[in-house]
Amino acid sequence: MLRALFLAFALFLSMSGVQAQTQSPTEDLQTVLQRHAAEVANPGRLSVGALIADLVASRQPNVASFLERWQDKGVYQRTTDGLFFYAIRQGDAYALTNMTTGESAGTAPADVMTEIRPNGGVRRVIGAALVQFQLSDPDRARRVAALDAISRSPDADQIDPLRASIEGEPDPALKLRKERLAGHLRARFGKSTEDRIGAINELSSALDVETRSVLNLVLTTTSGVAPSVPEGTNVARILKVGTDINEAVAYNRLVDANLAPAPIPPAAVKAALTANITDGRVGGIPVGQLGNETNRSDAYDALATAGTVPPQVTPAIRTAALSSNVFYDAYTEPNPAVTDAARAALDEVEARVARYQIIDISMDALSLASIYFLAAIGLAITFGVMGVINMAHGEFIMMGAYTGYVVQLFIPDYTISLLVALPLAFAVTFGAGVAMERLVIRHLYHRPLETLLATFGISIALQQLAKNIFGTQARPLTSPSWLDGAWVINDVVQIANIRIAIFVLALIFLALILFVLKRTRLGLEVRSVTQNPGMAASMGINPDRINMLTFGLGSGIAGIAGVAIGLYAKVTSEMGSDYIVQSFMTVVVGGVGNVWGTLAGASLIGFLQKGIEFFNPSNTLAAQTYMILFIILFIQFRPKGIVALKGRAAGD
Amino acid sequence: MTQGFLSKNPSVLWFLLVLGLFTLGVTVLSETAGVGLISTSFVKTLGKTLCLCLIAIAMDVVWGYCGILSLGHFAFFGIGGYAIGMWLMYARTEIIVIKSLNAAAIPPTPEEITDAVGQQIFGVVGSTDFPWLWAFSDSLFLQLLMVVLVPGLLALVFGWLAFRSRVTGVYLSILTQAMTLALALYLFQNDSGLRGNNGLSGLQNIPGFERTPQAVISLGFFWASALALALGYVLFAWVVSGKMGSVIRGIRDNESRVRFLGYHVETYKLFVFTLTAVISGIAGALYYPQAGIINPAEVAPIASIYLAVWVAIGGRGRLYGAVLGAAVVSLMSSWFTGGGAPNIPLGFYTIQWTDWWLVLLGFSFVAVTLFFPKGIGGLFDIIVRKGDQK
Repeated sequence: MLRALFLAFALFLSMSGVQAQTQSPTEDLQTVLQRHAAEVANPGRLSVGALIADLVASRQPNVASFLERWQDKGVYQRTTDGLFFYAIRQGDAYALTNMTTGESAGTAPADVMTEIRPNGGVRRVIGAALVQFQLSDPDRARRVAALDAISRSPDADQIDPLRASIEGEPDPALKLRKERLAGHLRARFGKSTEDRIGAINELSSALDVETRSVLNLVLTTTSGVAPSVPEGTNVARILKVGTDINEAVAYNRLVDANLAPAPIPPAAVKAALTANITDGRVGGIPVGQLGNETNRSDAYDALATAGTVPPQVTPAIRTAALSSNVFYDAYTEPNPAVTDAARAALDEVEARVARYQIIDISMDALSLASIYFLAAIGLAITFGVMGVINMAHGEFIMMGAYTGYVVQLFIPDYTISLLVALPLAFAVTFGAGVAMERLVIRHLYHRPLETLLATFGISIALQQLAKNIFGTQARPLTSPSWLDGAWVINDVVQIANIRIAIFVLALIFLALILFVLKRTRLGLEVRSVTQNPGMAASMGINPDRINMLTFGLGSGIAGIAGVAIGLYAKVTSEMGSDYIVQSFMTVVVGGVGNVWGTLAGASLIGFLQKGIEFFNPSNTLAAQTYMILFIILFIQFRPKGIVALKGRAAGD
Repeated sequence: MTQGFLSKNPSVLWFLLVLGLFTLGVTVLSETAGVGLISTSFVKTLGKTLCLCLIAIAMDVVWGYCGILSLGHFAFFGIGGYAIGMWLMYARTEIIVIKSLNAAAIPPTPEEITDAVGQQIFGVVGSTDFPWLWAFSDSLFLQLLMVVLVPGLLALVFGWLAFRSRVTGVYLSILTQAMTLALALYLFQNDSGLRGNNGLSGLQNIPGFERTPQAVISLGFFWASALALALGYVLFAWVVSGKMGSVIRGIRDNESRVRFLGYHVETYKLFVFTLTAVISGIAGALYYPQAGIINPAEVAPIASIYLAVWVAIGGRGRLYGAVLGAAVVSLMSSWFTGGGAPNIPLGFYTIQWTDWWLVLLGFSFVAVTLFFPKGIGGLFDIIVRKGDQK
């Protein structure tokens, strides 16, 4: 019915479009209304179309606001002269507004004004006409609002106005959105099967959440049960009891469909037994023996035989009921052609989404890997190259992050403060590392396990000091605004700018460290001291100085990593301990004493963690557990890590 | 445990004597005996400390004697605690549930009891069913067996994998740390079957002893802990003495050389690792009923590192050193953080020990490592050497 009406309305619109070319556009609103005075005062759902078409054809700028007022019952007719006004009741009188000029037209006593009350059907027609106006409104915000309203509560009536407005849309982004929305509407409410299938097929090239939800809406199913599948049902699938649906749920469906008697729950059995105790017995069984299911069941059966309670559902009844009925999911959409098309489209969309998700996960994994790499590379230098286990490495990361925080307290501009914080964090942690090397580690070079414990002592002391100075709550390290936001490639693949920045930073550090170790005098000396300190010393290299500088370098990089990590995570006194175990594992998995190994380790751990999270997205803890278990097993089979040093460099 | 063993190890007798006197002294001074100089809560603290001493000597054997710096022994301690905690929690909840269900006109069925207990225990993590982990939780005997078996099997499998592929030194330390981290992360999950973050609680209420006052129960656990420590001490003293002890120390000092001498190093290491894990599990099973609650944070990597800290401060390679280290550091820790230590006003700043204790501990630990590698136990050497003048 509504569709027929709409067709008529659309016809009118197109006809009036032709008329509008010929008609003079100077005719004012009141004139048009007066021409249809009877219709305006007492509109009918079927006949109001002509009036609205005429209004639209008049091309008056205030038609839209008239329609709104009309719909909201804000239009009144003065009975004395039949003119229409907008009116607001003030006491006994109405304040009138001239609808052509929008100026006040004085007041009128209540008894000469008649409120015009369009009925529901008419209001719907008006609303549809209004959408047309809003969708072509010169104000972009109003057009967006209209589109938002449509996507909030989509409705078949909106298809034609929406499609009519696409042509004249000046904004390309909005035009795209309109086209997409029109497609969604056609897929759900299209007039003919061909139209809907056509629209659905077009949707299959999309990627966005809205499209997916439209397709899912078309594919909405309801669960049903019947002795046999009713004629004309668009069955999505038949459920097999036991595999697709468990027995209890299936039986409940039967009960809900009145196809089987309701089971008596244990609590009800108990209540019935309690209510029927006579002389310390229930159904002939002493109360003291009711402490097991068999006796309770027997007692209840006795009561049921006596007719005091409804009988139990025996397993036989249950099985018979389950086997004599068919359980199925049926589409709410009756047309199988449409649902088939939608299923195919949805499969295609989801396959594409899955492909993009893999890319997205890979990018996430890459960014996680770069964070691990940044956190671990300093450790790889101190642990890998020097064989020193620095448990306070995590606290150097924390010191770097707090340095960034303190710098921001003094320099309010986030970009400048970041540029200051990076070298400053390096300097601070370089100093701390050198001090620690001179005071503690130097004395323990021949006792690696004790280095671990001594640096652990430093670690807890530094952590507590940070807590005493900065408090236990997390401190912000705000990134500059150009690092906010994300690089959005499409609806599925996007990556935060800050993560890209961390990735770039990791690359820079990789290059820098490779350069220092392989191409500079310092790197040569470091490598020679690593391989054979005695021989290096006899060649005129001062191993003490080299060890100090190496340790300082490793610690300094931890400081910079701290600033980077602080930008995207919170700065707390415990942030170091969150990364220390992971960093050690990165170094150990990658292979000690090799920058490439650390890179490989970080990539492996990053990709592994994201991969496991992908399969079990709700549970990061489980992902981490599995990852650690994997690493433990991995080390069993490659105890020297991915990139194992061979020959003399392996040392031991 | 022959005469020869004890006469060769006079320190064992001395230790047992001191421990016995200490136990008697605490008993006499406790509230139960009427003197009341030592409060019930302090008896509990002392009992817990004895358990920590027990795991510390286990750590000393595995690290100080065998050279395996395990940073995961608290995982075994925690597993022991969870194993006994499961029975305590189940049995106690069952008693309460049966009491409330018996108020009904009809006696409860076993299924109803199980459902109600499950509701009570797992309601907090949004579940009512018993996970498979709790299959034996209704049997004290089986759970006590788990206290020994689960840490033992875990250590056996882990150690076999690790030692077989010759993972040694720092790598092994990190691997053991990863193990305890994995366990902690697993337990933190709500669907781990062990109440996730909430852990197990109410463990101080011993089923069957509802009418016994806590003062008596805590003294009982104190005795049990002292007995366990005494037995553990004798056991480990026996393990590290004699030929096996020599081999174990040889592995610590030069693993390859012992291997070339024809000993199967991996077996010895695996034996020590597994035995200490089992003892750690027992220590945990005694500790947590006194603590009253266990949660996943207990097995976080930091706990195992502290264990190494105690042993290092006490003095590695001597059993009484480990006992001293664990007792001194853990008691001082509770003294300082419990507000027992007086704050030091510096005029411009007041040092509050609750905030500064860890700083002090950290730096004193560095100092001990640097300047007193033998730890507190090293002091005994000085005394003994002066006395003997060999």
